[in-house]
Amino acid sequence: MNNININHIRRIEGHTGFLASVINGDVKSAKMAMRGRGRLIEGVLIGRHYQDMPVIAERICGICSVAHNIASIKAVEDAMQIKVSEETGKLRKAMMCGHFINSHAMHLFFITLSDLLDIENDLKLAEEYSEETAMALKIREYGMEIIKTIGGRAIHPIANEVGGFKKVPSEEEIKNLIMQGEELLPMALKLSEFLKKIKMPDFSRPTEYICLEKKGEYLACDGDVVSNKGLHVHADNLKNKFHEFQRPKEILKRTEGDGKSSYMVGAIARINNQSDKLSMCARKYLESLNFKLPDYNPFHNILYQMVEIIHCIETSVKLMKELAHADMQNALTKEFVFQEGSVNVAVESPRGTLYYWVDVDGQGFIKNVNIITPTAQFLTHMEDDVAAFVSGTAEKDKKQMEKKMRAFIRAYDPCVNCAAH
Amino acid sequence: MESAETKTKKPRIAIVNLASCEGCQLALLDLGEKFINFANNVELVDLKFLEDEKNSREKIDMAFVEGSPMSEAEKKTLLQLREKSKLLIVLGNCAAMGGVPEISNYREQKQTAKHTYRYIHGIKNEPIQEVDNFVKVDFTFPGCPISAEEFMEYFPMLWESLEDGQDLPKIPDKSVCVECKEKGIRCYLLDGKPCFGSMILGGCSAVCPSAGLMCQGCRGLRPGANVKNISKGLKNMMTEEEFENVAEIYGLRDDIEAKEKIMPL
Repeated sequence: MNNININHIRRIEGHTGFLASVINGDVKSAKMAMRGRGRLIEGVLIGRHYQDMPVIAERICGICSVAHNIASIKAVEDAMQIKVSEETGKLRKAMMCGHFINSHAMHLFFITLSDLLDIENDLKLAEEYSEETAMALKIREYGMEIIKTIGGRAIHPIANEVGGFKKVPSEEEIKNLIMQGEELLPMALKLSEFLKKIKMPDFSRPTEYICLEKKGEYLACDGDVVSNKGLHVHADNLKNKFHEFQRPKEILKRTEGDGKSSYMVGAIARINNQSDKLSMCARKYLESLNFKLPDYNPFHNILYQMVEIIHCIETSVKLMKELAHADMQNALTKEFVFQEGSVNVAVESPRGTLYYWVDVDGQGFIKNVNIITPTAQFLTHMEDDVAAFVSGTAEKDKKQMEKKMRAFIRAYDPCVNCAAH
Repeated sequence: MESAETKTKKPRIAIVNLASCEGCQLALLDLGEKFINFANNVELVDLKFLEDEKNSREKIDMAFVEGSPMSEAEKKTLLQLREKSKLLIVLGNCAAMGGVPEISNYREQKQTAKHTYRYIHGIKNEPIQEVDNFVKVDFTFPGCPISAEEFMEYFPMLWESLEDGQDLPKIPDKSVCVECKEKGIRCYLLDGKPCFGSMILGGCSAVCPSAGLMCQGCRGLRPGANVKNISKGLKNMMTEEEFENVAEIYGLRDDIEAKEKIMPL
């Protein structure tokens, strides 16, 4: 018995190690190993006023703060039966586009690329591929600019709140974003051609892909939860289909489906389930990749993130153009009456579907809350894939095996801060 | 010879994450090209270095710590880091003041964990303690998240003071109000709306008031603030409970309570 114990995997969000018990190159079991205590964010939210919900919830994770901001606000609004304006909805969608662009560009370029190109670190990558690095940085910048313009800050946005926005962008700011987005698209397409040439490891394991479905929308903020294996259920009924569980002694939380099998969420799940809803350039790029769907190679998630970056640039420009002619005053929070209630909401975030279940009392205080993050959902799936992948490579050298495992985990884009909140 | 070497020497720095959202580190990465230039001009120390006793004689010039230690392993890391570092600098509200997880300090501890986890056996559930409860802190970058611009402004000063043996820099004792005035943001207090800005250390460009949210104090109390009077005034605009709730978000409540106890001269 040969144990691989990776103490800390660099370049992923959060702290984690990975334990794998390896017997003659065959990985018998693999599991994420976390140290420490969680920050108990759900426990902290209980008893707080609904206005504090996004402020505290978004601090689960620096990189995923926009997703938590939007999902937590939506959960409170739905629970208290507060309706928001069309303009508010569009501003939030645009902000989510910014989040996808920023987060995906960070992951596919700065987290996984050096592994795929076998370069020691990101600084060397930036040196060797300076032109591509500049493009990736520009793409991230645009994503952050959207969030900053609408939310007031790129990390932990401020302006979005229950009922609408505290402050709305000016006409000039919206026009600036349109201009930036239009300029960026050709650059993103150029970077996407570069990524296409990178050789991805050959690995495939049939699985279940789960994401949200809503008519006409690729990235939904509500709708039904669907899978390639025939799952079709409204988010509110999801509790009967999936459950979150915790293994003794672990501070990570996991989920499993009806069949007790692991499943996958995120870009690869969305592309497999609903690529027909992509914007024009994104669809063209996807077609040019020549991957046959269903595609079960988890490494392709990286290219699918690129598809989504293109989709989100196009979508954000479209939304901004609509908002440029809208009365933005409608997006400002108006006085509202609310009721007590509880609800389960789901939104698509970069790493997959994010669920918020919340129960609010008649005075507007949080009675109960449960947050199921994408990483909590795909963790078991990742472990199953790592075990299959490393076994399949017939790698005998421990160091090489460790290197492959690290690279594979990074390609998966886990967010451990989110998983252990 | 030796002085020439020190002149061109790159600062050896370590950036360490304890329990946090990692937003402060992300704020630095978000600088993009500026961050790449920064990283090229320092020697980033691998964390493995900490556990490697052979290197114990080699010092880290500046260690940056984000988050607060929540496990024995993290506490050990922090102590080792202090031992090896000439300067230990904290990044952000969690490390400096406990951050949002510190809200659990004001609750029945077991309840918070019990709600979040089914198996609380083996999950340490001690009160959150900030970095300075364990080691000496030389400088604090406040905020949630930190201001990356502020980091870039103070980093060279920190390095300089280390090299020349000068005093460490200090963030000027100015309130958030000064920045609201500079940006032309109408004072919330004028409209009878509460805002913590007058007792809080500025340097954030009043980012929250600019986006429509009262200052909730993530950067901490400014040294010269008359906390007792300011909080008394605020409690005319909000209930004691509301005041406490806001002060809890960023771990400010214990600091305010400590100041309120001090009798004015």
